[in-house]
Amino acid sequence: MATDAPTATGVSTAEKTAWERIKEPAVYVRLISLVVVIGGWELMGQTGNIDPVTFSYPSAICVAFWDLIASGKMTAAAYESSQILVAGLLIAIPLGIVLGILMGRFRTFEYAVDTYVFALYATPVVALAFPIAMVLGVDFVGKTTIVVFFAIMPIIVNVYHGVRNVDLSLLEVTRSFCSTESQRWRDLIFPSVVPYLVAGLGLACGRALVGMVVAEFLMSISGLGALSQDYIADLELDKGLAPVVLLMIVGIALTKVVNICETKFSSWRVRQES
Amino acid sequence: MSSSDNGLNPTLRLQGVGKWFGSLQVLEEIDIDVKTQEILTVLGPSGCGKTTLLRIVNGLILCERGEVSFKGEVVDGPRPEMAMVFQNFGLFPWKRLDQNIGYALRIQGKDKNEIDRLVSHYTELVGLGGFEANYPSQLSGGMQQRAGLARALAAQPDVLLMDEPFGALDALTRETLQEELLRINEAEPKAMIFITHSIDEALLLGDRVLVMTPRPGRIRFQFETGFGRGRDLEALRGGKRFQALRHYLWEAMRNPDEEPEPIPELNLE
Repeated sequence: MATDAPTATGVSTAEKTAWERIKEPAVYVRLISLVVVIGGWELMGQTGNIDPVTFSYPSAICVAFWDLIASGKMTAAAYESSQILVAGLLIAIPLGIVLGILMGRFRTFEYAVDTYVFALYATPVVALAFPIAMVLGVDFVGKTTIVVFFAIMPIIVNVYHGVRNVDLSLLEVTRSFCSTESQRWRDLIFPSVVPYLVAGLGLACGRALVGMVVAEFLMSISGLGALSQDYIADLELDKGLAPVVLLMIVGIALTKVVNICETKFSSWRVRQES
Repeated sequence: MSSSDNGLNPTLRLQGVGKWFGSLQVLEEIDIDVKTQEILTVLGPSGCGKTTLLRIVNGLILCERGEVSFKGEVVDGPRPEMAMVFQNFGLFPWKRLDQNIGYALRIQGKDKNEIDRLVSHYTELVGLGGFEANYPSQLSGGMQQRAGLARALAAQPDVLLMDEPFGALDALTRETLQEELLRINEAEPKAMIFITHSIDEALLLGDRVLVMTPRPGRIRFQFETGFGRGRDLEALRGGKRFQALRHYLWEAMRNPDEEPEPIPELNLE
Protein backbone atom coordinates (compact mmCIF):
# COMPACT_ATOMS: atom_id res chain seq x y z
CA MET A 1 0.00 0.00 0.00
CA ALA A 2 2.79 2.41 0.93
CA THR A 3 4.75 1.49 -2.22
CA ASP A 4 1.73 2.29 -4.41
CA ALA A 5 1.24 5.69 -2.90
CA PRO A 6 3.72 7.77 -4.96
CA THR A 7 2.41 6.52 -8.31
CA ALA A 8 -1.25 6.42 -7.36
CA THR A 9 -3.54 8.57 -9.48
CA GLY A 10 -6.96 9.73 -8.36
CA VAL A 11 -8.61 6.81 -10.17
CA SER A 12 -6.40 4.08 -8.77
CA THR A 13 -6.79 5.53 -5.28
CA ALA A 14 -10.55 5.27 -5.68
CA GLU A 15 -10.22 1.69 -6.88
CA LYS A 16 -7.98 0.86 -4.01
CA THR A 17 -10.36 2.31 -1.43
CA ALA A 18 -13.22 0.31 -2.95
CA TRP A 19 -11.09 -2.82 -2.76
CA GLU A 20 -10.05 -1.95 0.78
CA ARG A 21 -13.65 -1.51 1.73
CA ILE A 22 -14.35 -5.06 0.57
CA LYS A 23 -11.44 -6.24 2.70
CA GLU A 24 -13.20 -4.99 5.84
CA PRO A 25 -14.73 -7.87 7.85
CA ALA A 26 -18.10 -6.09 8.05
CA VAL A 27 -18.30 -6.29 4.25
CA TYR A 28 -16.62 -9.51 3.21
CA VAL A 29 -18.06 -11.65 6.01
CA ARG A 30 -21.54 -10.53 4.99
CA LEU A 31 -20.81 -11.16 1.32
CA ILE A 32 -19.48 -14.65 2.00
CA SER A 33 -22.44 -15.40 4.25
CA LEU A 34 -24.88 -14.30 1.52
CA VAL A 35 -23.10 -16.36 -1.13
CA VAL A 36 -23.06 -19.46 1.07
CA VAL A 37 -26.67 -19.24 2.29
CA ILE A 38 -28.39 -17.99 -0.89
CA GLY A 39 -26.07 -20.02 -3.10
CA GLY A 40 -26.57 -23.18 -1.02
CA TRP A 41 -30.32 -22.68 -1.08
CA GLU A 42 -30.23 -22.17 -4.86
CA LEU A 43 -28.02 -25.24 -5.27
CA MET A 44 -30.50 -27.35 -3.29
CA GLY A 45 -33.25 -26.14 -5.62
CA GLN A 46 -31.24 -26.70 -8.84
CA THR A 47 -30.29 -30.24 -7.82
CA GLY A 48 -33.93 -31.14 -7.18
CA ASN A 49 -33.69 -31.36 -3.41
CA ILE A 50 -36.52 -28.86 -2.91
CA ASP A 51 -40.07 -29.92 -3.68
CA PRO A 52 -41.60 -26.90 -5.52
CA VAL A 53 -44.98 -27.75 -4.01
CA THR A 54 -43.88 -27.18 -0.43
CA PHE A 55 -41.05 -24.69 -0.84
CA SER A 56 -39.14 -22.77 -3.47
CA TYR A 57 -35.65 -21.43 -4.16
CA PRO A 58 -34.14 -18.02 -5.05
CA SER A 59 -34.03 -18.08 -8.86
CA ALA A 60 -37.58 -19.46 -9.07
CA ILE A 61 -38.82 -16.76 -6.69
CA CYS A 62 -37.03 -14.10 -8.77
CA VAL A 63 -38.69 -15.32 -11.96
CA ALA A 64 -42.07 -15.40 -10.22
CA PHE A 65 -41.42 -11.90 -8.89
CA TRP A 66 -40.86 -10.49 -12.41
CA ASP A 67 -43.82 -12.43 -13.77
CA LEU A 68 -46.11 -10.97 -11.13
CA ILE A 69 -44.83 -7.47 -11.83
CA ALA A 70 -45.12 -7.93 -15.59
CA SER A 71 -48.72 -9.15 -15.26
CA GLY A 72 -49.53 -6.12 -13.07
CA LYS A 73 -50.77 -8.32 -10.23
CA MET A 74 -47.98 -7.37 -7.85
CA THR A 75 -48.32 -3.62 -8.40
CA ALA A 76 -52.09 -3.78 -8.00
CA ALA A 77 -51.76 -5.77 -4.79
CA ALA A 78 -49.00 -3.48 -3.49
CA TYR A 79 -51.15 -0.43 -4.23
CA GLU A 80 -54.04 -1.96 -2.32
CA SER A 81 -51.82 -2.85 0.65
CA SER A 82 -50.05 0.49 0.71
CA GLN A 83 -53.37 2.28 1.21
CA ILE A 84 -53.98 0.71 4.60
CA LEU A 85 -50.27 0.91 5.51
CA VAL A 86 -50.01 4.62 4.73
CA ALA A 87 -53.39 5.47 6.23
CA GLY A 88 -52.50 3.51 9.36
CA LEU A 89 -49.14 5.24 9.78
CA LEU A 90 -50.59 8.68 9.03
CA ILE A 91 -53.01 8.16 11.91
CA ALA A 92 -50.67 6.32 14.26
CA ILE A 93 -47.70 8.71 14.10
CA PRO A 94 -49.38 12.02 15.02
CA LEU A 95 -51.82 10.36 17.41
CA GLY A 96 -49.00 8.44 19.10
CA ILE A 97 -46.89 11.58 19.48
CA VAL A 98 -49.77 13.55 20.98
CA LEU A 99 -50.78 10.77 23.37
CA GLY A 100 -47.15 10.18 24.40
CA ILE A 101 -46.59 13.88 25.08
CA LEU A 102 -49.84 14.24 27.03
CA MET A 103 -48.98 11.16 29.10
CA GLY A 104 -45.45 12.36 29.74
CA ARG A 105 -46.40 15.91 30.63
CA PHE A 106 -49.70 15.72 32.49
CA ARG A 107 -49.94 13.44 35.50
CA THR A 108 -53.72 13.39 35.52
CA PHE A 109 -53.84 12.29 31.89
CA GLU A 110 -51.17 9.68 32.55
CA TYR A 111 -53.07 8.19 35.49
CA ALA A 112 -56.28 8.22 33.46
CA VAL A 113 -54.94 6.27 30.50
CA ASP A 114 -51.70 4.46 31.43
CA THR A 115 -53.49 1.24 32.47
CA TYR A 116 -54.96 0.81 28.97
CA VAL A 117 -51.84 1.89 27.14
CA PHE A 118 -49.53 -0.49 28.95
CA ALA A 119 -52.12 -3.29 28.86
CA LEU A 120 -52.45 -2.86 25.09
CA TYR A 121 -48.67 -2.64 24.74
CA ALA A 122 -48.36 -6.03 26.43
CA THR A 123 -51.23 -7.60 24.46
CA PRO A 124 -50.52 -9.36 21.15
CA VAL A 125 -52.49 -7.11 18.83
CA VAL A 126 -53.33 -10.07 16.58
CA ALA A 127 -55.77 -11.15 19.27
CA LEU A 128 -57.65 -7.89 18.75
CA ALA A 129 -58.24 -8.50 15.03
CA PHE A 130 -61.57 -10.25 15.52
CA PRO A 131 -63.14 -7.81 17.98
CA ILE A 132 -62.02 -4.94 15.72
CA ALA A 133 -63.57 -6.69 12.72
CA MET A 134 -66.82 -7.12 14.62
CA VAL A 135 -67.03 -3.45 15.53
CA LEU A 136 -65.47 -1.70 12.52
CA GLY A 137 -66.00 -4.21 9.75
CA VAL A 138 -63.52 -6.18 7.72
CA ASP A 139 -62.76 -3.59 5.07
CA PHE A 140 -60.63 -0.45 4.85
CA VAL A 141 -61.60 1.02 8.24
CA GLY A 142 -61.14 -2.22 10.13
CA LYS A 143 -57.82 -3.03 8.46
CA THR A 144 -56.44 0.46 8.93
CA THR A 145 -57.40 0.25 12.59
CA ILE A 146 -55.37 -2.95 12.94
CA VAL A 147 -52.35 -1.19 11.43
CA VAL A 148 -52.87 1.75 13.80
CA PHE A 149 -52.99 -0.56 16.83
CA PHE A 150 -49.80 -2.30 15.72
CA ALA A 151 -47.89 0.89 14.95
CA ILE A 152 -49.01 3.30 17.65
CA MET A 153 -47.80 1.49 20.76
CA PRO A 154 -44.02 1.97 20.38
CA ILE A 155 -44.59 5.62 19.43
CA ILE A 156 -46.68 6.38 22.52
CA VAL A 157 -44.37 4.55 24.85
CA ASN A 158 -41.16 6.02 23.41
CA VAL A 159 -42.42 9.60 23.30
CA TYR A 160 -43.72 9.20 26.84
CA HIS A 161 -40.31 8.05 28.04
CA GLY A 162 -38.62 10.85 26.06
CA VAL A 163 -40.73 13.51 27.77
CA ARG A 164 -40.15 11.83 31.13
CA ASN A 165 -36.38 11.58 30.72
CA VAL A 166 -35.79 15.26 30.03
CA ASP A 167 -32.52 16.31 31.68
CA LEU A 168 -33.57 17.81 35.02
CA SER A 169 -30.54 20.08 35.24
CA LEU A 170 -31.42 21.58 31.85
CA LEU A 171 -35.00 21.95 33.03
CA GLU A 172 -33.60 24.03 35.87
CA VAL A 173 -31.57 26.09 33.37
CA THR A 174 -34.75 26.96 31.47
CA ARG A 175 -36.47 27.91 34.73
CA SER A 176 -33.53 29.97 35.91
CA PHE A 177 -33.56 32.03 32.72
CA CYS A 178 -37.32 32.64 33.06
CA SER A 179 -38.35 30.53 30.05
CA THR A 180 -42.07 30.33 29.30
CA GLU A 181 -43.66 26.91 28.97
CA SER A 182 -43.84 27.10 25.17
CA GLN A 183 -40.19 28.20 24.94
CA ARG A 184 -39.29 25.27 27.19
CA TRP A 185 -40.96 22.87 24.76
CA ARG A 186 -39.04 24.32 21.86
CA ASP A 187 -35.63 24.54 23.52
CA LEU A 188 -35.66 21.46 25.69
CA ILE A 189 -38.51 18.99 25.55
CA PHE A 190 -38.92 18.50 21.77
CA PRO A 191 -35.17 18.14 21.14
CA SER A 192 -34.93 15.64 24.01
CA VAL A 193 -37.82 13.60 22.63
CA VAL A 194 -36.50 13.36 19.03
CA PRO A 195 -34.10 10.41 19.56
CA TYR A 196 -36.81 8.47 21.42
CA LEU A 197 -39.37 9.32 18.76
CA VAL A 198 -37.10 8.17 15.94
CA ALA A 199 -36.44 4.86 17.69
CA GLY A 200 -40.20 4.52 18.16
CA LEU A 201 -40.85 5.27 14.48
CA GLY A 202 -38.41 2.55 13.44
CA LEU A 203 -40.30 0.01 15.54
CA ALA A 204 -43.64 1.41 14.39
CA CYS A 205 -42.85 0.98 10.68
CA GLY A 206 -41.87 -2.65 11.20
CA ARG A 207 -44.97 -3.34 13.24
CA ALA A 208 -47.20 -1.51 10.75
CA LEU A 209 -46.05 -3.92 8.03
CA VAL A 210 -46.88 -6.87 10.26
CA GLY A 211 -50.24 -5.30 11.04
CA MET A 212 -50.93 -4.78 7.34
CA VAL A 213 -50.31 -8.44 6.49
CA VAL A 214 -52.23 -9.66 9.54
CA ALA A 215 -55.18 -7.49 8.51
CA GLU A 216 -55.04 -8.84 4.96
CA PHE A 217 -54.87 -12.43 6.17
CA LEU A 218 -57.49 -12.28 8.90
CA MET A 219 -60.05 -9.74 7.64
CA SER A 220 -61.35 -9.37 4.07
CA ILE A 221 -58.49 -10.87 2.15
CA SER A 222 -56.68 -8.31 -0.05
CA GLY A 223 -53.43 -6.84 -1.26
CA LEU A 224 -50.04 -8.51 -0.94
CA GLY A 225 -51.28 -10.75 1.86
CA ALA A 226 -54.04 -12.08 -0.41
CA LEU A 227 -51.68 -12.47 -3.35
CA SER A 228 -49.28 -14.54 -1.28
CA GLN A 229 -51.96 -16.63 0.37
CA ASP A 230 -53.76 -17.39 -2.90
CA TYR A 231 -50.65 -18.77 -4.59
CA ILE A 232 -49.58 -20.72 -1.54
CA ALA A 233 -53.04 -22.25 -1.39
CA ASP A 234 -52.59 -23.22 -5.07
CA LEU A 235 -49.23 -24.76 -4.13
CA GLU A 236 -47.37 -22.28 -6.34
CA LEU A 237 -44.77 -21.54 -3.70
CA ASP A 238 -42.48 -19.44 -5.90
CA LYS A 239 -45.28 -16.94 -6.62
CA GLY A 240 -46.49 -17.20 -3.02
CA LEU A 241 -43.10 -16.12 -1.71
CA ALA A 242 -42.54 -13.27 -4.17
CA PRO A 243 -44.82 -10.81 -2.28
CA VAL A 244 -42.93 -11.74 0.89
CA VAL A 245 -39.72 -10.59 -0.81
CA LEU A 246 -41.39 -7.28 -1.65
CA LEU A 247 -42.46 -6.89 2.00
CA MET A 248 -38.85 -7.45 3.05
CA ILE A 249 -37.66 -4.76 0.64
CA VAL A 250 -40.32 -2.31 1.85
CA GLY A 251 -39.39 -3.06 5.47
CA ILE A 252 -35.73 -2.39 4.81
CA ALA A 253 -36.57 0.79 2.87
CA LEU A 254 -38.74 2.14 5.69
CA THR A 255 -35.98 1.46 8.21
CA LYS A 256 -33.54 3.36 5.97
CA VAL A 257 -35.88 6.34 5.75
CA VAL A 258 -36.12 6.42 9.54
CA ASN A 259 -32.33 6.24 9.82
CA ILE A 260 -31.92 9.16 7.43
CA CYS A 261 -34.42 11.19 9.47
CA GLU A 262 -32.47 10.32 12.61
CA THR A 263 -29.23 11.64 11.11
CA LYS A 264 -30.97 14.80 9.93
CA PHE A 265 -32.56 15.63 13.27
CA SER A 266 -29.59 14.86 15.47
CA SER A 267 -26.69 16.38 13.58
CA TRP A 268 -25.18 17.51 16.90
CA ARG A 269 -24.98 13.87 17.98
CA VAL A 270 -23.33 12.70 14.76
CA ARG A 271 -20.74 15.48 14.87
CA GLN A 272 -19.92 14.48 18.40
CA GLU A 273 -18.81 11.04 17.20
CA SER A 274 -16.61 12.30 14.40
CA MET B 1 -12.05 52.33 45.06
CA SER B 2 -15.51 51.60 46.46
CA SER B 3 -18.14 54.26 46.06
CA SER B 4 -20.01 55.38 49.14
CA ASP B 5 -23.45 54.11 48.14
CA ASN B 6 -22.23 50.52 48.00
CA GLY B 7 -22.52 50.05 51.70
CA LEU B 8 -25.92 51.65 51.90
CA ASN B 9 -27.81 49.88 49.11
CA PRO B 10 -27.70 46.14 49.20
CA THR B 11 -28.75 44.77 45.83
CA LEU B 12 -29.70 41.50 47.37
CA ARG B 13 -30.83 40.87 50.92
CA LEU B 14 -31.50 37.58 52.67
CA GLN B 15 -33.28 37.83 56.00
CA GLY B 16 -33.64 34.87 58.35
CA VAL B 17 -33.77 32.35 55.53
CA GLY B 18 -34.57 28.82 56.69
CA LYS B 19 -35.11 25.79 54.47
CA TRP B 20 -36.31 22.26 55.16
CA PHE B 21 -36.38 19.22 52.92
CA GLY B 22 -39.17 17.31 54.64
CA SER B 23 -38.22 17.17 58.29
CA LEU B 24 -34.53 17.79 57.55
CA GLN B 25 -33.43 21.35 58.07
CA VAL B 26 -30.79 22.36 55.51
CA LEU B 27 -30.51 26.12 56.12
CA GLU B 28 -30.99 28.09 59.31
CA GLU B 29 -31.25 31.83 59.94
CA ILE B 30 -29.26 33.01 56.94
CA ASP B 31 -28.83 36.80 56.83
CA ILE B 32 -26.81 38.14 53.91
CA ASP B 33 -26.56 41.53 52.24
CA VAL B 34 -24.86 41.67 48.88
CA LYS B 35 -23.86 45.16 47.86
CA THR B 36 -23.87 46.51 44.30
CA GLN B 37 -20.85 45.16 42.44
CA GLU B 38 -19.69 43.15 45.43
CA ILE B 39 -18.21 39.68 44.97
CA LEU B 40 -19.31 37.47 47.83
CA THR B 41 -17.75 34.04 47.97
CA VAL B 42 -19.53 31.42 50.03
CA LEU B 43 -17.24 28.74 51.39
CA GLY B 44 -18.37 25.56 53.05
CA PRO B 45 -17.93 21.80 53.11
CA SER B 46 -20.06 19.54 50.89
CA GLY B 47 -23.61 19.22 52.12
CA CYS B 48 -23.76 22.55 53.93
CA GLY B 49 -26.57 23.77 51.68
CA LYS B 50 -24.52 26.19 49.55
CA THR B 51 -26.21 25.19 46.33
CA THR B 52 -29.62 25.15 48.01
CA LEU B 53 -28.93 28.70 49.18
CA LEU B 54 -28.12 29.81 45.65
CA ARG B 55 -31.23 28.15 44.24
CA ILE B 56 -33.30 30.01 46.83
CA VAL B 57 -31.66 33.30 45.83
CA ASN B 58 -32.42 32.53 42.19
CA GLY B 59 -36.04 31.80 43.06
CA LEU B 60 -35.83 28.23 41.76
CA ILE B 61 -36.99 26.97 45.14
CA LEU B 62 -38.67 28.87 47.93
CA CYS B 63 -37.64 29.03 51.57
CA GLU B 64 -40.01 28.09 54.36
CA ARG B 65 -38.81 30.85 56.66
CA GLY B 66 -37.48 34.34 56.10
CA GLU B 67 -37.25 36.02 52.70
CA VAL B 68 -34.99 37.02 49.86
CA SER B 69 -35.37 40.47 48.39
CA PHE B 70 -33.85 42.01 45.30
CA LYS B 71 -33.75 45.82 45.30
CA GLY B 72 -36.51 45.76 47.88
CA GLU B 73 -38.76 43.33 46.02
CA VAL B 74 -39.42 39.87 47.43
CA VAL B 75 -37.97 37.13 45.22
CA ASP B 76 -40.72 34.55 44.63
CA GLY B 77 -39.43 33.09 41.37
CA PRO B 78 -36.61 33.41 38.84
CA ARG B 79 -36.17 36.92 37.48
CA PRO B 80 -34.14 38.19 34.52
CA GLU B 81 -32.00 40.49 36.70
CA MET B 82 -30.23 37.41 38.07
CA ALA B 83 -28.32 34.88 35.99
CA MET B 84 -26.86 31.59 37.12
CA VAL B 85 -23.69 29.86 35.97
CA PHE B 86 -24.11 26.15 36.62
CA GLN B 87 -21.59 23.67 37.95
CA ASN B 88 -22.25 21.18 35.15
CA PHE B 89 -22.33 24.03 32.56
CA GLY B 90 -26.01 23.45 31.69
CA LEU B 91 -25.54 23.98 27.95
CA PHE B 92 -28.05 22.55 25.48
CA PRO B 93 -26.18 19.81 23.60
CA TRP B 94 -28.27 20.33 20.45
CA LYS B 95 -27.62 24.07 20.27
CA ARG B 96 -24.52 25.58 18.72
CA LEU B 97 -22.33 27.70 20.94
CA ASP B 98 -23.76 31.01 19.67
CA GLN B 99 -27.29 29.69 20.18
CA ASN B 100 -26.42 28.65 23.72
CA ILE B 101 -24.86 32.02 24.49
CA GLY B 102 -27.85 33.86 23.04
CA TYR B 103 -30.32 31.61 24.83
CA ALA B 104 -31.29 34.02 27.63
CA LEU B 105 -31.62 36.89 25.15
CA ARG B 106 -34.01 34.90 22.99
CA ILE B 107 -36.02 33.98 26.07
CA GLN B 108 -36.22 37.70 26.89
CA GLY B 109 -37.58 38.34 23.41
CA LYS B 110 -34.75 40.65 22.29
CA ASP B 111 -34.71 41.36 18.55
CA LYS B 112 -32.33 39.47 16.33
CA ASN B 113 -29.81 42.25 15.69
CA GLU B 114 -29.53 42.96 19.40
CA ILE B 115 -29.01 39.25 20.10
CA ASP B 116 -26.33 38.97 17.41
CA ARG B 117 -24.53 42.04 18.71
CA LEU B 118 -24.55 40.90 22.36
CA VAL B 119 -23.67 37.30 21.49
CA SER B 120 -20.65 38.33 19.47
CA HIS B 121 -19.58 40.79 22.19
CA TYR B 122 -19.73 38.22 24.99
CA THR B 123 -18.33 35.43 22.85
CA GLU B 124 -15.25 37.59 22.32
CA LEU B 125 -15.16 38.69 25.96
CA VAL B 126 -14.90 35.11 27.24
CA GLY B 127 -12.40 34.22 24.50
CA LEU B 128 -14.57 31.90 22.41
CA GLY B 129 -14.42 33.83 19.14
CA GLY B 130 -14.25 31.40 16.21
CA PHE B 131 -16.08 28.59 18.02
CA GLU B 132 -19.61 29.93 17.46
CA ALA B 133 -20.66 27.09 15.17
CA ASN B 134 -19.44 24.29 17.44
CA TYR B 135 -21.64 22.09 19.54
CA PRO B 136 -20.83 21.87 23.28
CA SER B 137 -19.67 18.27 23.05
CA GLN B 138 -16.91 19.35 20.66
CA LEU B 139 -15.42 21.65 23.26
CA SER B 140 -13.37 21.12 26.42
CA GLY B 141 -14.94 21.59 29.84
CA GLY B 142 -13.17 24.91 30.25
CA MET B 143 -14.56 26.22 26.98
CA GLN B 144 -18.03 24.95 27.84
CA GLN B 145 -17.95 26.87 31.08
CA ARG B 146 -16.73 29.98 29.27
CA ALA B 147 -19.89 29.61 27.18
CA GLY B 148 -21.95 29.15 30.36
CA LEU B 149 -20.45 32.39 31.68
CA ALA B 150 -21.03 34.21 28.39
CA ARG B 151 -24.66 33.10 28.39
CA ALA B 152 -25.18 34.48 31.90
CA LEU B 153 -23.34 37.73 31.11
CA ALA B 154 -25.22 38.24 27.84
CA ALA B 155 -28.45 38.32 29.83
CA GLN B 156 -26.99 41.49 31.40
CA PRO B 157 -28.04 40.67 34.92
CA ASP B 158 -27.43 42.79 38.01
CA VAL B 159 -26.45 39.72 39.98
CA LEU B 160 -24.42 36.74 38.80
CA LEU B 161 -24.99 33.51 40.70
CA MET B 162 -22.04 31.13 40.40
CA ASP B 163 -22.67 27.58 41.60
CA GLU B 164 -19.17 26.09 41.95
CA PRO B 165 -18.67 26.97 38.29
CA PHE B 166 -15.07 25.83 38.13
CA GLY B 167 -15.50 22.77 40.35
CA ALA B 168 -15.61 20.33 37.45
CA LEU B 169 -12.47 21.70 35.76
CA ASP B 170 -8.83 20.74 36.05
CA ALA B 171 -6.55 22.91 38.19
CA LEU B 172 -4.86 24.80 35.35
CA THR B 173 -8.11 25.61 33.52
CA ARG B 174 -9.58 26.62 36.83
CA GLU B 175 -6.84 29.16 37.54
CA THR B 176 -7.09 30.59 34.04
CA LEU B 177 -10.83 31.02 34.38
CA GLN B 178 -10.50 32.62 37.82
CA GLU B 179 -8.27 35.29 36.31
CA GLU B 180 -10.57 35.71 33.32
CA LEU B 181 -13.58 36.07 35.59
CA LEU B 182 -11.91 38.89 37.51
CA ARG B 183 -10.81 40.55 34.26
CA ILE B 184 -14.36 40.36 32.89
CA ASN B 185 -15.78 41.64 36.14
CA GLU B 186 -13.38 44.62 35.98
CA ALA B 187 -14.73 45.42 32.53
CA GLU B 188 -18.38 44.99 33.47
CA PRO B 189 -18.76 44.99 37.26
CA LYS B 190 -21.70 43.16 38.76
CA ALA B 191 -22.75 41.81 42.11
CA MET B 192 -21.79 38.17 42.36
CA ILE B 193 -22.41 35.30 44.74
CA PHE B 194 -19.78 32.67 44.13
CA ILE B 195 -20.20 29.26 45.77
CA THR B 196 -17.06 27.20 46.25
CA HIS B 197 -15.48 24.60 48.49
CA SER B 198 -11.98 25.78 47.61
CA ILE B 199 -10.33 28.04 50.20
CA ASP B 200 -7.97 29.52 47.61
CA GLU B 201 -10.78 30.28 45.21
CA ALA B 202 -12.87 31.94 47.92
CA LEU B 203 -9.95 34.21 48.85
CA LEU B 204 -8.74 34.93 45.33
CA LEU B 205 -12.10 36.01 44.00
CA GLY B 206 -14.00 37.37 46.98
CA ASP B 207 -14.36 40.91 48.23
CA ARG B 208 -15.98 39.19 51.17
CA VAL B 209 -15.81 35.55 52.22
CA LEU B 210 -18.70 33.94 54.04
CA VAL B 211 -18.05 30.61 55.75
CA MET B 212 -20.90 28.17 56.38
CA THR B 213 -21.35 25.26 58.78
CA PRO B 214 -22.91 22.00 57.67
CA ARG B 215 -26.25 20.45 58.66
CA PRO B 216 -28.07 22.68 58.93
CA GLY B 217 -26.22 25.31 56.94
CA ARG B 218 -25.61 28.40 59.05
CA ILE B 219 -23.35 31.40 58.64
CA ARG B 220 -20.30 30.72 60.77
CA PHE B 221 -18.36 33.92 60.16
CA GLN B 222 -17.59 36.33 57.36
CA PHE B 223 -14.91 38.89 56.63
CA GLU B 224 -13.71 41.32 53.98
CA THR B 225 -10.65 40.01 52.18
CA GLY B 226 -9.45 43.57 51.58
CA PHE B 227 -7.52 42.65 48.46
CA GLY B 228 -9.13 45.35 46.35
CA ARG B 229 -9.97 45.38 42.66
CA GLY B 230 -7.51 44.84 39.87
CA ARG B 231 -5.73 42.29 42.01
CA ASP B 232 -2.89 40.28 40.59
CA LEU B 233 -3.66 36.70 41.53
CA GLU B 234 -0.04 35.51 41.29
CA ALA B 235 1.23 38.26 43.56
CA LEU B 236 -1.76 37.73 45.86
CA ARG B 237 -1.02 34.06 46.39
CA GLY B 238 2.51 34.82 47.59
CA GLY B 239 1.38 37.65 49.88
CA LYS B 240 1.44 37.48 53.67
CA ARG B 241 -2.18 38.43 54.15
CA PHE B 242 -3.34 35.76 51.74
CA GLN B 243 -1.23 33.14 53.49
CA ALA B 244 -2.54 34.18 56.90
CA LEU B 245 -6.16 34.13 55.77
CA ARG B 246 -5.63 30.84 54.02
CA HIS B 247 -4.19 29.31 57.17
CA TYR B 248 -7.04 30.71 59.24
CA LEU B 249 -9.66 29.29 56.92
CA TRP B 250 -7.86 25.97 56.73
CA GLU B 251 -7.89 25.69 60.54
CA ALA B 252 -11.53 26.71 60.60
CA MET B 253 -12.55 24.12 58.01
CA ARG B 254 -10.62 21.39 59.78
CA ASN B 255 -12.23 22.06 63.14
CA PRO B 256 -15.87 22.77 62.46
CA ASP B 257 -16.70 22.98 66.18
CA GLU B 258 -14.18 25.50 67.45
CA GLU B 259 -13.14 28.84 66.09
CA PRO B 260 -9.43 29.20 65.33
CA GLU B 261 -7.19 31.77 67.02
CA PRO B 262 -8.22 35.16 65.70
CA ILE B 263 -5.76 36.96 63.49
CA PRO B 264 -5.48 40.69 64.17
CA GLU B 265 -5.19 41.62 60.48
CA LEU B 266 -8.60 40.10 59.79
CA ASN B 267 -10.47 43.01 61.15
CA LEU B 268 -8.39 45.63 59.40
CA GLU B 269 -9.84 47.67 56.52
